[in-house]
Amino acid sequence: MSQNIISEEKVFNELKKAVVETLRVDADKINPETSLIKDLGAESLDFLDINYRLEQAFGIKMARHFVLEHIEEMFGEGTAIDENGQLTDKAVETLRIRFGNGVSELKPGMDMDEVPALLTTQSMVRGVMDILDSLSEKCSKCGSSGWESKDTVRITCASCGEPATFTNGDELIKEWLTKVQEDKKIF
Amino acid sequence: MKLYQGIDIVEVGKFRKILLRNINFTTDIFTEQEREYCLSRKDPYIHFAGRFAVKEASMKALGIGLSGSGIDHAFQEIETIPGASGKPVLSFSGWVGKISEKQRINQLTVSISHSSNYAVASVILVGTQ
Repeated sequence: MSQNIISEEKVFNELKKAVVETLRVDADKINPETSLIKDLGAESLDFLDINYRLEQAFGIKMARHFVLEHIEEMFGEGTAIDENGQLTDKAVETLRIRFGNGVSELKPGMDMDEVPALLTTQSMVRGVMDILDSLSEKCSKCGSSGWESKDTVRITCASCGEPATFTNGDELIKEWLTKVQEDKKIF
Repeated sequence: MKLYQGIDIVEVGKFRKILLRNINFTTDIFTEQEREYCLSRKDPYIHFAGRFAVKEASMKALGIGLSGSGIDHAFQEIETIPGASGKPVLSFSGWVGKISEKQRINQLTVSISHSSNYAVASVILVGTQ
């Protein structure tokens, strides 16, 4: 279900706020194509901080495992990463579907640790939107189907004020991979 | 024989701020044994920072990048605990362990050093590939 309470623009603005607070960079430098690593020099501690800020702001749980790890868990060892630690053809095909044209530099045989630098703020926004879109139809406390977000980016029940709950990022990646496999038969 | 090396430096002040701001940080990133060890020390943050540097250095040596979320479970799969002599002992498990097996790594060595401002770790892995 696509929730219409928090827009993509709101998510992008919240991410921008987190990036500015963490990296102390000018907000004007951040656009949907910005790579936090390549363009803004973010390191892993910064990534952690930015993602914790997003989790706290939206009340969500981001994925703890990368798509490549889920691929190997679901479709077998060696399906995503070869014995030299490099991306397989199938992994690249899957990542291109997931991250779109923004990752045109992805190539089979690329080292695994080169991938994060290709990811943009847009891919992070998409990750958050996917989780927000898993908003349940009814409030688990009072059963109401009315949701709202007042002055913040937190979605709460319009009747009882209970915070909304969402599917976690890892479960959503697994669901997405199952669907991609059904449609494209990559593995 | 093939050698893999990784090195990392962590600014303790920055690390401490992020750790204190996020209540799940220690449980997400460190194993139970690592938490027990660091919390038993006079200044836990320096030791947490040192172990974080080991995790980063190991990822560099193995060629593993960060996940999209940054709060990567792989951090939990890289553990440094004190050996019998007090010297740190490094081990891998889970996905990190699998990547290490693929590269036929059979020896892991780690060294950690810190001042009050910085923690540094160097990891050398030996593979038979």
